[in-house]
Amino acid sequence: MSAVPLGRRGSPVDNQSVRRHRPDYWLVILALFLVVVGLTVVYAISPALAATSGGSGAHYVSRQLIAIGLSIAAFSVTSRVPLRTWQRWQMPLLVAAGLATLVALVMPVNALYPQHRWIRLGGLSLQSVEILKFALIVSVASFLARQAASGQLNNVQRTMKPLAYMLLAVTFVVAAPDKLHGQSDLGSFAVILAMIGAMVIVIGLPMRRILLAGSILALLVTFVIVISPYRRERVTTFAHPNCLTSGGYQACQALIAVGSGGISGLGLGRSVQAYGYLPEAQNDSIFAIYAEKFGFIGVMVLLGLFVALFARLRLIIERTSDVFSRLVVVGILAWLSTQMIINVGAMIGLLPLKGITLPFVSYGGTSVLFVGAALGLVFQISHYTSFSARNVQKGGGQRTMNQPHVFSPASGRSGGTRRRPCSSVYSRYTFSQELPPGIRRNDLRLTERMHEVDSP
Amino acid sequence: MDQQPASVIDPVQRVRIWYALLLLVFGIFAVRVFYLQVIRYDYYKKAALSDQLKQYTVPAERGIITASLGGSSVPIVMNEKLYTLYADPTVVKNAEHVAAKLQPIIGGDAGAITKQLKTSDTRYVILKKKLTPAQSDKILAFKFPGVGTEEQDYRTYPQGTLASQLLGFVDNSGQGQYGVEQALNKQLQGKPGQLKAVTDINGIPLAASANNISTQPVKGDSIDLTIDVGMQAGLEKIIKAAQEQNKSQDVSAVVMDVRTGAIKAMANYPTYDPSDYQDVSDGSLFQNIAVTDPIEPGSITKLFTTAASLQKGVITPTTSFYDPGSWTIDGSKVSDVEEDHSTGQQTILSTLDKSLNTGATWMLMQLGDGRIDAQARSILYDYFSNHFMLGQATGVEQGNGEEASGYLPKPTDTGAGIDLTYANISFGQAYTATALQMVSALSSILNGGTYYQPQLVDQITDGNGTVTKVAPRVVKSNVISTQVSNDIISLMEQNNTNHIAEGFPYLNFGPNYAVGGKTGTAEIANPLGGYYSDRVNGTYMGFVGGNTPEYAIVVYNLQPTKYKGFAGAETGQPVFANIAHMLINDFGVTPKAK
Repeated sequence: MSAVPLGRRGSPVDNQSVRRHRPDYWLVILALFLVVVGLTVVYAISPALAATSGGSGAHYVSRQLIAIGLSIAAFSVTSRVPLRTWQRWQMPLLVAAGLATLVALVMPVNALYPQHRWIRLGGLSLQSVEILKFALIVSVASFLARQAASGQLNNVQRTMKPLAYMLLAVTFVVAAPDKLHGQSDLGSFAVILAMIGAMVIVIGLPMRRILLAGSILALLVTFVIVISPYRRERVTTFAHPNCLTSGGYQACQALIAVGSGGISGLGLGRSVQAYGYLPEAQNDSIFAIYAEKFGFIGVMVLLGLFVALFARLRLIIERTSDVFSRLVVVGILAWLSTQMIINVGAMIGLLPLKGITLPFVSYGGTSVLFVGAALGLVFQISHYTSFSARNVQKGGGQRTMNQPHVFSPASGRSGGTRRRPCSSVYSRYTFSQELPPGIRRNDLRLTERMHEVDSP
Repeated sequence: MDQQPASVIDPVQRVRIWYALLLLVFGIFAVRVFYLQVIRYDYYKKAALSDQLKQYTVPAERGIITASLGGSSVPIVMNEKLYTLYADPTVVKNAEHVAAKLQPIIGGDAGAITKQLKTSDTRYVILKKKLTPAQSDKILAFKFPGVGTEEQDYRTYPQGTLASQLLGFVDNSGQGQYGVEQALNKQLQGKPGQLKAVTDINGIPLAASANNISTQPVKGDSIDLTIDVGMQAGLEKIIKAAQEQNKSQDVSAVVMDVRTGAIKAMANYPTYDPSDYQDVSDGSLFQNIAVTDPIEPGSITKLFTTAASLQKGVITPTTSFYDPGSWTIDGSKVSDVEEDHSTGQQTILSTLDKSLNTGATWMLMQLGDGRIDAQARSILYDYFSNHFMLGQATGVEQGNGEEASGYLPKPTDTGAGIDLTYANISFGQAYTATALQMVSALSSILNGGTYYQPQLVDQITDGNGTVTKVAPRVVKSNVISTQVSNDIISLMEQNNTNHIAEGFPYLNFGPNYAVGGKTGTAEIANPLGGYYSDRVNGTYMGFVGGNTPEYAIVVYNLQPTKYKGFAGAETGQPVFANIAHMLINDFGVTPKAK
């Protein structure tokens, strides 16, 4: 048994220790279910959209189909381009996202959407923050993995400071209000915070520091809300929803849509709220329209789909031994789950309204495109999962930590000769060896699991 | 084995704790959704319907109003669908943009429109009324959320201002005001339908919903008036010219078919344009003063006094009597207006011709015991009130409570001067009557003694096309005898002939037509007591016909300021003559049999 240098042989990227195996098709299946749900709802309400907001009914469906097509293309790219390449190109990617954000900030705004959130090219419009989310996941995961590998995770100067600066920059660009020339997009800011927060928590930054940073951020966010009148209004209308004020109108109509759905819903073609009552019916409010159409049962199915998808992601996190890969999946899970919580929470009156989409389901090209790209990364990583990480966990089933895992036909996913998700036998790396210089034991607690050891 | 510090949580455990928290959030969401959709379902269903289910009254199409023109009916009041532009400010997005697009179509100031679109705490603001269908279509094509147009019926008047005061108008809430529109509002309105439907935000009903209820409106009745459009237009032209020439306060005239009580033309000038009724600042212009404003009619009343006296047999058409020049009654002197009039023998005809107040008073005395007493008063009152129907509304189809009853003092009224009052009544002062009351009473005398209710509605056509003819309604028959009727007609004709000789050649209608009349110069009571010395009303009452009278005509020329001589002869009589010439020339008065 010998220690393997971090990020080298142990990385699935070079595919030496963990053989590429069958990927997690459930990811694709669940995501497709969600996309189909979204497309169905958009299709069903397109006459309503055409009647009340203009355009033809086919307009919405065809645009969404194009977005899905692009999303599938993005998926196939990100699932094929090796993670090592993404890691290597993380800085150009981040710079590109930064540029895209700057372009959005200087673009003249549309009177209908006065915030500086979009890049418009002819009839196309891109929401720059989606690019930023994707780039940040790759970049921060890469950064943290590198810091962890060099044992500098706890180094304030080398790790904490760059992270803090980056967060500050994101805050100013994404969260700052219009009058400070920011994007005023607190919803996306929350998603980014959740992504980075999840990554630093999972990589093992001491909770003490995370909590400190969290408190500072909480203060900052409160400040941003207080200085921005429309956010203040959103918070107050959240406390007292009222259909007669312009601020509380959407929240109130969303509750009416959800509540009037009842147990089994009004039926696919029978949404009334989509006929102009609930703003953004195809977009940010699509959950409420879905709930109106399919009722409590439908909502349970939809939440079930999300839970199932998130469960797959969690499984991949636990079974991925490469730090970078794992952090990427952690970031994506945080992205999707936070966005979903903020969106649905607002529709059912548990959270204030944020202009944020429901991943996979909402109409809107940029969101669909980058969610597909992110899922592609996860799909690629799912080729290289193993049970090692999971086995580490105490009480993790019938297998003990150091016991070589042997698949029995009963416990295997399938028999035959197909490669299985767990094709190697691992044992736990122990700390009996000398630690490399500069690496403290604490840092290794996570990274140790990233090392595969050849079978005895 | 690894010795982990107790305070640090295992990173994989962190993932699991995080995931557990995620599941907890899902659990909370599921509970919340259960609460909203299952427990609070009824509440939200109700809230949804209160927004989505709209109940409309579908106004029935209002009946049109027609009148005859050359033997057939032509519409004089029709309907037009125009659109009201409204907005729901809670739904309108980007008010500035919307206002900028609307402004070129509806006019006005874009800033003001923006302000309206941003009105808080309301879900309905009216941006513009009376848009054409084309304008409405243009606006709807923008598909601005929360901006819509509502169809509304408006009255249009193909004949312009014709007969506006007798027609009335329809207000914004669809209610008839004044005139026929108000009097027959219920019939014209029809029965509104009900529509209860789940609609989109713009109020457009969505396809089939169990909550939709609809009852069809029932179209209002169409009213065909007795008015002759040509005659009405001619009459309006004549009285307008008279009002302008005499610089009168008002001129009114009514033409009635004596055989049925049908009003063929009825007009006042000044008048107003019913399609711009909102712009009328003087509300009195809405009133059809021929029906609403009684005056002391003056000497035309002498025909009624004569008819009553003839009927009672106290005089004959050829009776002559000694006129002392004045009578002293209740301590006051009753004398004639004509200053150069001297005492001497007078006849009934000369009483009418010279319009002798002393003559009318003498006839009243004959109804009593040679003087004005209780018997004389009660007989005159009986004829005026119960035969000629003065002092009471006729019930013509004009606005609710709009018609005036006039005032006729009771013969039993106590207090000083009742005899003097009755002497005044006998020659047309001290009581009031509208032009319509006068023409109706005159018609009853001219047609041989049948008082018909004055009538504006000829027939009613309901929504299904069923036509109901409104028959002439006899209020009283045997008002006077045929003999007395003939006597009065003859006296009026002779009076007319005399007037031609006295310098009014325009009263010559040739040998084929019978035309007769009586002037009146009516003093105007000063509300502070007594009569004005400087203002009078010129009145005239006459007829046109052949062997028998066909049309009765009453002219009220109110407070003319520009004329020579007597108001009746100078401001009433020429208006009558113009009307009579028009009727004979243009409206087929049957000539005398050869």
